[in-house]
Amino acid sequence: MPVVKDTDAKELDYYYQPLRDEMPIVYNAYRSVEPLKSFFTYTNEKVADYFTQEKNITDIPDKTILFGVKSCDIAGHKVQDFVFLEGVEVDSSYRLRRQNTIFISGDCTDFKEVCHCLAWEIMPYPTWGFDLNFSPLSDGYLVEVGSGKGQELIDNCQEFFVLAKETQSAARKVKRDNLVDRLKRHLLPQNLVTKDSVQKLVKDGYNLDTWKEFMLTCVECGGCNFICDTCHCFLLADKKEEHQNQKVRVWDACLYANYARVAGGANPLKMRAQRLRFRYTKKFDFFVDNLGMPACCGCGRCIEVCPGKIDIREVLKDLAKRLNNK
Amino acid sequence: MKNIYRPIEGTIEDVIVETPTIKTFVIRPKEDFSFRTGQFIELTLPGIGEAPFTPSSDPNIKEKIDVTIMNVGHVTSLLHTASKNTAVGIRGPYGRGYPLEKFLGKDIVIVGGGVGLAPLRSLLLALFAEIDKYNKIVLRYGSRAPSDVVYKNLIPEWAKIDKVDIVTTVDVADAQWQGNVGVVTTIIKDLPADLNNAVAIVCGPPIMMKFATLKLLDIGLAPAAIYLSMEKNMSCGLGKCGHCRIGKYYICKDGPVFTYEQLKDIHDIWD
Repeated sequence: MPVVKDTDAKELDYYYQPLRDEMPIVYNAYRSVEPLKSFFTYTNEKVADYFTQEKNITDIPDKTILFGVKSCDIAGHKVQDFVFLEGVEVDSSYRLRRQNTIFISGDCTDFKEVCHCLAWEIMPYPTWGFDLNFSPLSDGYLVEVGSGKGQELIDNCQEFFVLAKETQSAARKVKRDNLVDRLKRHLLPQNLVTKDSVQKLVKDGYNLDTWKEFMLTCVECGGCNFICDTCHCFLLADKKEEHQNQKVRVWDACLYANYARVAGGANPLKMRAQRLRFRYTKKFDFFVDNLGMPACCGCGRCIEVCPGKIDIREVLKDLAKRLNNK
Repeated sequence: MKNIYRPIEGTIEDVIVETPTIKTFVIRPKEDFSFRTGQFIELTLPGIGEAPFTPSSDPNIKEKIDVTIMNVGHVTSLLHTASKNTAVGIRGPYGRGYPLEKFLGKDIVIVGGGVGLAPLRSLLLALFAEIDKYNKIVLRYGSRAPSDVVYKNLIPEWAKIDKVDIVTTVDVADAQWQGNVGVVTTIIKDLPADLNNAVAIVCGPPIMMKFATLKLLDIGLAPAAIYLSMEKNMSCGLGKCGHCRIGKYYICKDGPVFTYEQLKDIHDIWD
């Protein structure tokens, strides 16, 4: 799957598209619009049928190569893997899709205004979690092998590859360092909240007015949830299709009014401010405790998507500001 | 490969009317199914929807499970119209249930409110099955009104069992009611139990659980000795869908039974 540019936008946007002959492949300078999770769980899909004679056989997914994955995507996707591959049970369809997918990632060569991976100590180039990684150089790409699947791919297409020279490895380092420097210059004046301090901040800020004030412009579209690399909530629903009983998995959003509603109408997250806080405590408290990392990769998708201009960077900074003034 | 979202089939074999809004459904699973007391299941009305319930039957009985259900929402109102021989789906069991091994040799104080007695019936039956292993079982049960009391015919039978002490109350009495009147916390006093060697188990509506817990702390139980059956809108039951999170826990996989010690520092647990 190559990635194509949308040339009408102020900042270029990149989208994943199925590879077709007439479509030129471009190297995306930064992450795509879609989150990586959208290849592994779908907004609305049948996950089981039941009371049928034949045992459920999960469809074997097509072998897929994703080209254009970025470092933030890989970091964020660790949360999806944790949810669907670990815990009390493994989600078998997720596992099959994961097993049948090859990640070809690439170094970022530019960034968007909203990008802030470095705040979470994620580099704008992948260091793990890819099968192959591409680093653009003046005379081609330096390709790093990250897995057995990646090595196999190289072995099968040897005519396209030569062993990298030391000067080329050095050139990669220079390009990477330059981009990191540029991104740092972009982020430093923003004075962002750090990885080490964020859990305490969200805990201590539980009763602050930040939640209420930032929610004034929320239209409850759930866009921040759906576009997020790490958000994973879903609802299991039932439906009947041509006499077949089906379990359907639908992405859900904790910013929706009915997210936590129980039978009989009680709703522990009745207020919108409670729901915003729920989203942040999930990302910056729950996942720090359960996975050892905050569930934000700094991709900034939620900032771009929000019609209410709610900026995750600003929410966290506001918590810090109010706590410091106390 | 196992499909974790696929329910097994069961048949409603009997429907027992407990109160005007509560029925017990006796369900026979078509495949092997067993649970530990306090674990919950997702019960599916085929093609319509599913909801979480903790079985109210003896976990030692494998061929049938009882589920006592109050008519409060979409799925439960449709379930209440279901008759014998209706097919239902069962997923689970989920969660950790009551740690019976920690109750051995203890005085066990059980506090129930309303339909919250359903999971506690399963616990009581599990305890009765091995009653020699426990020191004493003290049940305190409160209902809103006499018409809301579940297991009306069973409670007097349980009270006859040696080592079992039962007191009930209603918030509001009617003309026939001879017993205690007042919320359940009014009967959590002068318990015939050694509170230095006791555990307490609480199940009921959130507001009742809150005040029962405070009362139990007040009479000297330690936070680690108070077990709470928590409930939220568990959807997947597997710790994946996200809905039932409180603090660092998912109720479905880390609970639904927690000690108060585990929960006491988490905000808004009674909401």
